[in-house]
Amino acid sequence: MNPAMTPVRRLLFWTLVAVLLLWVLLPIWLVAMGAFGGRAAVFQWPKSLLPASLSFDHMAAFLAVEGVANAFLNSVIAAAVTVVLSVALGAPAGYALARYAFRGADAFKLLVLLTRAFPLAILALPLAVGFIRIGLYDSPFGVALMHTVLALPFAVLVTQSLFMGIPRELEEAAWVFGCSPVQAFFRVVMPLALPGLAATAIFAFVISWNEVFAASVLTVRERTLTAYLLAVLSESPLHTRFAGGLLLILPSVLFVFAVRKWLFTVWGISGR
Amino acid sequence: MKRRSLLAAGAGLLAAPGFARAQSGDVVFLSTQLRPVEEATRLRNAILRPAPVQSTFVTEEPQNLTVRMRAEAQAGRRTVSLVGALHGELQPLAADSLDALDDVAAQLADRGIPQNLLELGKLGTGQQRYIPWMQATYIMAAHRRALEFLPAGADINALSYDQLRAWAAAIQQRTNQRRLGFPAGPRGLMARFFQGYLYPSYTGGVVRTFRSAEAEQGWAALKATWAHVAPASTTYNFMQEPLMAGEVWIAFDHVARLMDALRAAPGDYVTFPAPAGPMGRGYMPVIAGLGIARGAPNRAGAAQLIEYLSRPATQLRLAAETGFFPVVRAELPADLPPAVRLAASAIGATQSARDAKVSLLPVGLGDKGGEFNKVYMDSFQRIVLRNENIRTVLDAEAANLRAVMNATAAPCWSPDAASDGACPVA
Repeated sequence: MNPAMTPVRRLLFWTLVAVLLLWVLLPIWLVAMGAFGGRAAVFQWPKSLLPASLSFDHMAAFLAVEGVANAFLNSVIAAAVTVVLSVALGAPAGYALARYAFRGADAFKLLVLLTRAFPLAILALPLAVGFIRIGLYDSPFGVALMHTVLALPFAVLVTQSLFMGIPRELEEAAWVFGCSPVQAFFRVVMPLALPGLAATAIFAFVISWNEVFAASVLTVRERTLTAYLLAVLSESPLHTRFAGGLLLILPSVLFVFAVRKWLFTVWGISGR
Repeated sequence: MKRRSLLAAGAGLLAAPGFARAQSGDVVFLSTQLRPVEEATRLRNAILRPAPVQSTFVTEEPQNLTVRMRAEAQAGRRTVSLVGALHGELQPLAADSLDALDDVAAQLADRGIPQNLLELGKLGTGQQRYIPWMQATYIMAAHRRALEFLPAGADINALSYDQLRAWAAAIQQRTNQRRLGFPAGPRGLMARFFQGYLYPSYTGGVVRTFRSAEAEQGWAALKATWAHVAPASTTYNFMQEPLMAGEVWIAFDHVARLMDALRAAPGDYVTFPAPAGPMGRGYMPVIAGLGIARGAPNRAGAAQLIEYLSRPATQLRLAAETGFFPVVRAELPADLPPAVRLAASAIGATQSARDAKVSLLPVGLGDKGGEFNKVYMDSFQRIVLRNENIRTVLDAEAANLRAVMNATAAPCWSPDAASDGACPVA
């Protein structure tokens, strides 16, 4: 923090920090309270901010539901494959759009966005038929392919602006000093692009983790956690919803936590 | 070095889905019923685990059921063997996805499944398409706190709609709260209240009498009652929640959607039949059935599972675990859990009420079931919530209803008098 801040500004600054923290943490805290606070506490009003009784029964009962472990694993697989594929396919496309002027670049950008233009509900039947015929039906890999398609537009557009922000001169300097274009990319551009790629990965992860419809239409036994639970959570008792909600939030939080040091550099905070 | 290990990890992830983790050979049992996590768990643990056939119970949203079954039929490769769903949800599958089950039905001839239920299971095709699995209906539940406000002389097991209104009004007057609740939320089953309860009770029909003078009276009565109904009713999907939270003292809902409250505090609640109108006490039984997918990977296993699920002992176990009741001949034992006993007593009182008027689920609407429900929900919103003129709304919505009936050419079903061709809206 800047030591030259006046006390008033300091107060304002910390109030803002506190409000932002509350904004993010309070709902998560209340969900956690609902998950661990016992069945009766869920209906208590006004809510107490401290747990009256701590009970792991719901969470335990929830985790013991047949298939939750398998669904969790499927979700992790689908999300991981989606992250890998959408960065691996999206980043080169973004690089090409940023560095080379070629005919049809604009049309290409529009086409990439077009995959998001069709409501999935309309495509559900033909997609399912196609996936069954190819043999990708009912597997997390098939779901990951679908999620990659959904995540690619973001990956391409985000990485494009990312590479545009990295001066071409740096790359050219690397060529001058004897790097091949590929070497220059990996030694000079890539390290600078890492924070943005991390953000792209988060996007892809969250898209895959949260997606319900494709995941539930394309699978029967090998459901992802979101498809396995989210669809039925809205019809479950409140305390079950809180337990499920917490379980669905946690991995995203952990993932963001894991890549945070690259994210911070995106926001211009150097502290790695 | 580090990069190489990352690559290896990535390759590992890509390869992982290749490992077949699901055991094959078991019966995939896809169901739109018993979806809530706790109910599904009870079915898996208490009923399917001791079954003679290994099965995987998978739940499905009703709107996805048709998509999946149709997709598997078109692609020519089935994953699903056994389908469990409501009568109305199985209807659109009859044409291309449900196998004929006459052999299974013949096997179960001694189980005492009522003939009219078996007839429903033919879905109008002349062959058995599903075997009735379990039934439920809608009941009312009230917290004991509400009982002191019950109008003098009213018998809770033979309420009229006027008495219900007086009861709710008395509560509002004395506690300053509107404590009567209906499941009119986005996922609530309010449409069934109109089709199975309000309309039959006031008009003796559902489709033919849609815009009759009696219907006008029924809507006027509901509108008057709504002044004492909890305003959050338009957000309630499962009445067990506002009951448990104490927001609502008197509630109407599907029995399975009240069970949690009854289970949590059986001593706190009374259950009783829905009220009666001038034409009787309308009520709607809900039937879920079991069908076998055409081209099922394990037809024999699925048939065996149907046989097991329709054994009287299994059906009683299911009733005790979930609050869905047997369709076969089975005497409910005396040692039922208190919540199930509460539900069973209200259902029994409904079925044996002298003025009971049975209303079947809509038959023959196929995938237009949603539009059919919309006619009633739209009428409700316009008349009761938006205060529009009743006659104008009924005339306008009657045109929509007529369009649905003509498009499907569905003949009238009980309680409407039978018709040749599409059921007419008078």
